[in-house]
Amino acid sequence: MLKIHYGALESDNYIFNPDAFFNNTYEDEWITDDLSVQMIKDIDGSEVIGPRAIDSPFLGSIPTERLSGGVKTLILMNNDNEHIFNASACGDNCAKWILAITDRLEKKGKDLTIRLGYLMDFGNDTFDIEIANLKKVVHNKKELVEAVLDNGLL
Amino acid sequence: MIGKYEIEIYNKRVHYFLTVKRNITILQGHSATGKTELIRLVSEYEQNGASSGITVKCGASCTVLTSVDWESRLSRLGKHIVFIDETASFLSSQRFAEMVRGSDNYFVIVTRDDLQQLPYSVDEIYGLRNVSSSSKYKSFKKVYNEMYKLQNLDSLT
Repeated sequence: MLKIHYGALESDNYIFNPDAFFNNTYEDEWITDDLSVQMIKDIDGSEVIGPRAIDSPFLGSIPTERLSGGVKTLILMNNDNEHIFNASACGDNCAKWILAITDRLEKKGKDLTIRLGYLMDFGNDTFDIEIANLKKVVHNKKELVEAVLDNGLL
Repeated sequence: MIGKYEIEIYNKRVHYFLTVKRNITILQGHSATGKTELIRLVSEYEQNGASSGITVKCGASCTVLTSVDWESRLSRLGKHIVFIDETASFLSSQRFAEMVRGSDNYFVIVTRDDLQQLPYSVDEIYGLRNVSSSSKYKSFKKVYNEMYKLQNLDSLT
């Protein structure tokens, strides 16, 4: 299940700056993974040439470290289950991928826990998201927004 | 500082046109729209000037404030346009809010988080969008304001 902590988070395994964390921890095989290749194409519009080279339509050939902060955070979520990442580094265009990563992890018997400082739009379909602050599971956008705002989490 | 500042920043690959009207401008929106690249260009120009290959056209000096020694640096800055990326951990601090209130700088802040302690207008929250078919030129697009939240809630009922 996707578990989201809204607002400030103090935890030893919380990563506030996933961009920098990615640059110093990523492994080559994370980049060439099928899901990473799809996410990099969708979010950044870029092609993976190899684990350390990306072809960007805007920036030309760039090193992996210059992927967007959003896609770096997604790749971390998919490959590092020990940390809680600051998903405010991700825009709304990352939401469907966060749900896809959650599905992937659930098949391995794992949850995905992230932190958000804004109301990311998870779309109009139903979902199961636990608001970690409240230990409450919500199933659609309306329930999510009401729970977060009514409880003053943001 | 008062009034409106037009900022043009470009290298051979990307080109930004920005207009800042008030002391705090917030930049947010989808991932991979060029926000961090904008900060990187300002930073490289600040470090290397024209020899960076970057051009910055603006009626005020532009600078990037990072988490390193931010309080001391900010206390010495005046009449600058200060760019801050979302990776700056001090953004949500009370001390930063106090220093912004007493500052004559303009601030362009990349963040999606709601910075409740900062007195910024909901009319000054922008995103970046491509404005040419070649995707080479970028400019501000207003993407978020107070009505946007209300419309979101209305659409749920």
